[in-house]
Amino acid sequence: MYIPITVDHIARVEGKGGIEIVMSDDGVKEVKLNIIEGPRFFEAITIGKKLEEALAVYPRICSFCSAAHKLTAVEAAEKAVGFTPREEIQDLRDIVYIGDMIESHALHLYLLVLPDYLGYSNPLSMLDRYRKEIEYAMALKNIGAKIMDYLASRPIHQENAVIGGFGKLPTKAQFEELKRELKEALPMAEYTVELFSKLEQYKEVEDKEMVHMAVKPRNGVYGIFGDYVKVSDGFEFPVEDYQKHIVERVVEHSFAKHSFYRGKPFMVGAISRIVNNAHLLYGRAKELYAQYKDLLRYDNCFANNFAQALELVYFIERAIDLIDDTLAKWPIKPRDEVEMKDGRGVSLTEAPRGILAYTIEVRDGKVAYADIITPTAMNLAIMERHVRMMAEKHYNDDPEKLKLLSEMTVRAYDPCISCSVHVVKL
Amino acid sequence: MENGKVRVGFYALTSCYGCQLQFAMMDEIIQLLDKASIECWFMVERDSDEDREVDIAFIEGSISTEEEAELVKKIREKAKIVVAVGACATQGGVQSWGNDRKLEELWKTVYGDAKVKFQPKMAEPVENYIKVDYRLYGCPPEKKDFLYALGTFLVGSWPEDIDYPVCVECRLKGYPCVLIEKGEPCLGPITRAGCDARCPGYGIACIGCRGAIGYDVAWFDSLARVFREKGLTKEEILERMRIFNAHNPRLEEMIDKIFEEGE
Repeated sequence: MYIPITVDHIARVEGKGGIEIVMSDDGVKEVKLNIIEGPRFFEAITIGKKLEEALAVYPRICSFCSAAHKLTAVEAAEKAVGFTPREEIQDLRDIVYIGDMIESHALHLYLLVLPDYLGYSNPLSMLDRYRKEIEYAMALKNIGAKIMDYLASRPIHQENAVIGGFGKLPTKAQFEELKRELKEALPMAEYTVELFSKLEQYKEVEDKEMVHMAVKPRNGVYGIFGDYVKVSDGFEFPVEDYQKHIVERVVEHSFAKHSFYRGKPFMVGAISRIVNNAHLLYGRAKELYAQYKDLLRYDNCFANNFAQALELVYFIERAIDLIDDTLAKWPIKPRDEVEMKDGRGVSLTEAPRGILAYTIEVRDGKVAYADIITPTAMNLAIMERHVRMMAEKHYNDDPEKLKLLSEMTVRAYDPCISCSVHVVKL
Repeated sequence: MENGKVRVGFYALTSCYGCQLQFAMMDEIIQLLDKASIECWFMVERDSDEDREVDIAFIEGSISTEEEAELVKKIREKAKIVVAVGACATQGGVQSWGNDRKLEELWKTVYGDAKVKFQPKMAEPVENYIKVDYRLYGCPPEKKDFLYALGTFLVGSWPEDIDYPVCVECRLKGYPCVLIEKGEPCLGPITRAGCDARCPGYGIACIGCRGAIGYDVAWFDSLARVFREKGLTKEEILERMRIFNAHNPRLEEMIDKIFEEGE
């Protein structure tokens, strides 16, 4: 009789989940990621509600990526009612989304991941010896937050992103300020790349069968919005077909469903974007990619941490370029009138943690159907597989060591458990 | 207090983790934590334990499982001060928007006939289960709400509730009125201030994330009358006001009153 090794509540991730490793005489019998947060039924509670009100509620699925939820939901809603935003509005949405990306990556890398590698249980106690790292984390997080603050009203649960555009835009001076601070943040992002290039990517979870999925960027530049999904096995499909290729299943140990592609687990996230779209990088990130290509491995989920560090550099430069484009077109009309038609819209975007999928069907200005699949829900199945691989190598070791390594495997995926709990098929 | 440090716990029930994120993202947290020891805060501290005694317990999230109902009782026993933080803990959160429908119906919509090994519930505010000493409102609360509350606790005092609506701050800021000038269903008149009228400042109608003002001065009925004149139906008015006030005991009867009056 073996007592299962359990982590009741995985620390330093967004949301509430646990790990359960069950042993037998033959080694590891079962590994389960228990998702213990309560269900919130987001898609169900917004059915029959006014579209604008539903769009205010969806971002509340998650705080770390509320802007991602907001902008993906708004795009799906605009497609549903038959509206296409002007290019300058799309650029501004990209900037907001990048703000979310920078903030989320900075928090994940420095506050959630780094303490494990430096031997701390929390990031705040690192302050004495690693003040510079904590200060960089705060500064990077602050510039991401400030972008969302100025453009979208606040860093968590933005209200200023609506069908047709924005209620109000920042001033030219505010854009200049953001650009100045982004430039100041760039060396910190490069330092992050250097720092994370030294951190171990555990060989125990090396997985040659790993398949990665990412949105194919719309305008030929590494980015967030797109109309097709690329799979690392060479397959491509239009975003509208995601329900055919990403198949969900309920598992009894979780309020979150698991997702499969061709019957098998797959990964989404920063490393999946790099695997599928690295040729679309430009600027400093392109140079760094060439330099560190060997660390951006498709077969190791720990590479996701390093891929996020590289993306910090990329997205900071990209935001500066997008601000330049915006200022060149100044003044910009913030919002267009949108006529509400009935219809169905699908949007897939690259949230900080990977593909975020929204389908919204609109009838008489109200939500008639909604389907949301979050990146963490897509990753849960493969995450379990990799925790299992870790456990198979270490089940004879000190349980505390196994617990830590299992947690680190989970943290490499940057899971957002609140996000994953509420996935719906009607 | 232990070694002159305030023992703090930050606990999450069912939520988006945004209240903790807001708290963790404050630059001031570095100074504050010199004066505090974190006993339980899973989002940042691996060495966390829900069984430790604390001076101040911050609770985020709604009670949405039987396990969470048990957890809050334990937190109450171990804590001197319990603070409910954010819209989920104080008002049941946006997940309560669906409480006009049955749990079984919501469950079936999302999960079909599948079963999981945890017991779900309809979302409820924390104070339906335990005594709550103070509340920080908002979705998420403002950074200044945290600073103010912690500051008052550290000097042995307590945070005062805000008893006036968003409109007061909106007028002071000089923003154009979203309700009267733009004709949109702004909930500013019934919603607790403290956000500096952020959304109306962007020309966006308030959705009431800080909850209805207390002390029976949230005039749902007067605002419903204005909305009705703008062509909103009773259901539309109720649904909008319920996003963040689904558990408010006075909401429905006050709206009923307006519609019983007739045109």
